[in-house]
Amino acid sequence: MSSLLTTSVGSFPKPDYLMRARTKASKGDLSPEELRQLEEKATAEWIRFQEDIGMDILVDGEQYRGDMATYFAENIEGTEISGLVRSYGNRYYKKPIVVDELRLRGPISVAWFEYAQSRTKKPVKGMITGPYTMMDWSFDEHYGSREETCLAFARLLHQEAIALERAGAKVIQVDEPALSSRFEELPLLVKAVGVVTNGLTAKTVLHTCYGNYNEIFEYFNKLPVDQLDLEMSNSGLDLLDRFKQEPLQKEIAFGVVDVHSHVIEPESLIRERIERALTIFEPPKLFIDPDCGLKTRSVEEAQAKLRNMVAATRAVRRARHLT
Amino acid sequence: MVHTTVVGNYPRIGDSFEEQSLRRAIARFDKGEIKQEDLREAEREVVKGVLREQQDAGIEVVTDGQVTWYDSQSHIARKLKNVEIGGLVRYFDTNTYYRQPVIRGAVEWKEPILVDEWKFAQANSKAPVKAVLTGPVTLASLALDKHYGKRRALASDLATALAEEVRGLVRAGAAYIQIDEPILTSHPEDLPLVTEGLDRIRAAKGSAHLALFIFFGAVAKIYKDLLQAPVDSLGLDLVQGAATWAALAKIGSKKPLALGVVDARNTKKEDPGAVAKKVLELRGAIDLKGSYLSPSNGLEFLPRNRAQEKLRILTSAAKKIGVGA
Repeated sequence: MSSLLTTSVGSFPKPDYLMRARTKASKGDLSPEELRQLEEKATAEWIRFQEDIGMDILVDGEQYRGDMATYFAENIEGTEISGLVRSYGNRYYKKPIVVDELRLRGPISVAWFEYAQSRTKKPVKGMITGPYTMMDWSFDEHYGSREETCLAFARLLHQEAIALERAGAKVIQVDEPALSSRFEELPLLVKAVGVVTNGLTAKTVLHTCYGNYNEIFEYFNKLPVDQLDLEMSNSGLDLLDRFKQEPLQKEIAFGVVDVHSHVIEPESLIRERIERALTIFEPPKLFIDPDCGLKTRSVEEAQAKLRNMVAATRAVRRARHLT
Repeated sequence: MVHTTVVGNYPRIGDSFEEQSLRRAIARFDKGEIKQEDLREAEREVVKGVLREQQDAGIEVVTDGQVTWYDSQSHIARKLKNVEIGGLVRYFDTNTYYRQPVIRGAVEWKEPILVDEWKFAQANSKAPVKAVLTGPVTLASLALDKHYGKRRALASDLATALAEEVRGLVRAGAAYIQIDEPILTSHPEDLPLVTEGLDRIRAAKGSAHLALFIFFGAVAKIYKDLLQAPVDSLGLDLVQGAATWAALAKIGSKKPLALGVVDARNTKKEDPGAVAKKVLELRGAIDLKGSYLSPSNGLEFLPRNRAQEKLRILTSAAKKIGVGA
């Protein structure tokens, strides 16, 4: 059984040529076909990079997405995209508005999954923005209830998950960064993610970040997925003691590099973090990845972080004679 | 006729090129391409626009939209003694983030925080501009305390510092002061602490009108006690805090209220007639003529064009109530 497999959370930074192309396309100075070609080029480059450094489970890098919720909403009928809303500082995003009953126009991310998977023999993850996050990050002018909106998204995203599985995805990740927004709604999140993952044979992963993990800890084992993907280094690895007391019944993807810091963690520090994780988790159930998507870093920073992460994991495997 | 007001922040950019001047100015400032004064000028232009939009909609007591605020916590805390500004933390249950104040020593007021901004806004507004401050208990609860060890002690020093700021605002001419304590929706047990802080601020407010606003949820459990808070009026979020309605209708209020009846967190347009009808249910229980209609919280969670619509819905509902009251 393989141990300490390396993977990524989802997004990678877009190279400069793609950033420029997106600006041009938004002004109508570049055709959608030309933009698509550059997105494919960037995706292919990221796949090659992941192969080159020896990553085990790959991602497509989300070069074709702006915001993770907006991208899915744009491809779902019954939504509009709002004007700009501030997130923090000088950062703004366009927020989806649910204006009618939600319906799927067709597969959303499947073509990109197929493109990425066609360029590698290694498994590529299928990536879905989760139903709770879709609901929490959208305005609702139609359903009038957070639960109904969330479950409506969940039913569509279940179809998307099935389509990804049919297209060959062996691993499907549901991203729920909004998971910890409202403690009292965690039962709804569990229910909605369950709708998405129901009956899938692919390995299912739930990613979340930036929450008060201590408060939500009791829900970890209730989440209807095979693997939890958690930001661990930004929160100071505080959770490990809690996991010692209350063991996780699932696999864990353990974030070992901080995605919000320019600092490139040295291999030795990452090794230390992996060793600490190994005091709690069995090697076959422990996956190594960054805390979150790397899209806010520069291409160089993201690549350096990933290189060190894979090298550190290899070193630990060697030292412990793991396959 | 019921009055109208807003709660605090307002979208600082819109979707047109012209409406994004501040976003561009900040980006250029960050790259060192423009000076602090240029950035200030860009901010002030936006403040004027925000005041104009409120005036056009007919809002009676306005704010400067908190256009220069990075967020509700660090904008106040950064100018206090022994406070550093740390990393990003999620702001309550929203998808927005604030820079967390880190408390390194005894907190004290050292220089005016909002006075210049208030003066500029008032000089550019016919309507009275309300000065809005994040309350001491919310500030203390959302900060990272590396000094006091007891939240109560931190909240107490913050209240003293904020009282000093309020004194300066009143001296500059502010007739309306609002203290925001959203923490009470998730921590109603903090009401005694909030009351202590308000007592201190009240002593500094002179003849100004002191309001307390509580948003992001209901306060039904503490509603009765809230009516005893040492303030001249009480602001309630009646959208996310719809559960407060029953207590409000039953117990009523002798204190004027700000009724946060227009949803500031969702784009869905309310029907002004329906809003008016709902508010008129409170006739007899509260002093409608002394009260205000307002959004449920700051309007910055909405795109700018939707925020404008919400202001119009608000004033239109108020007019309909005027006819019915």
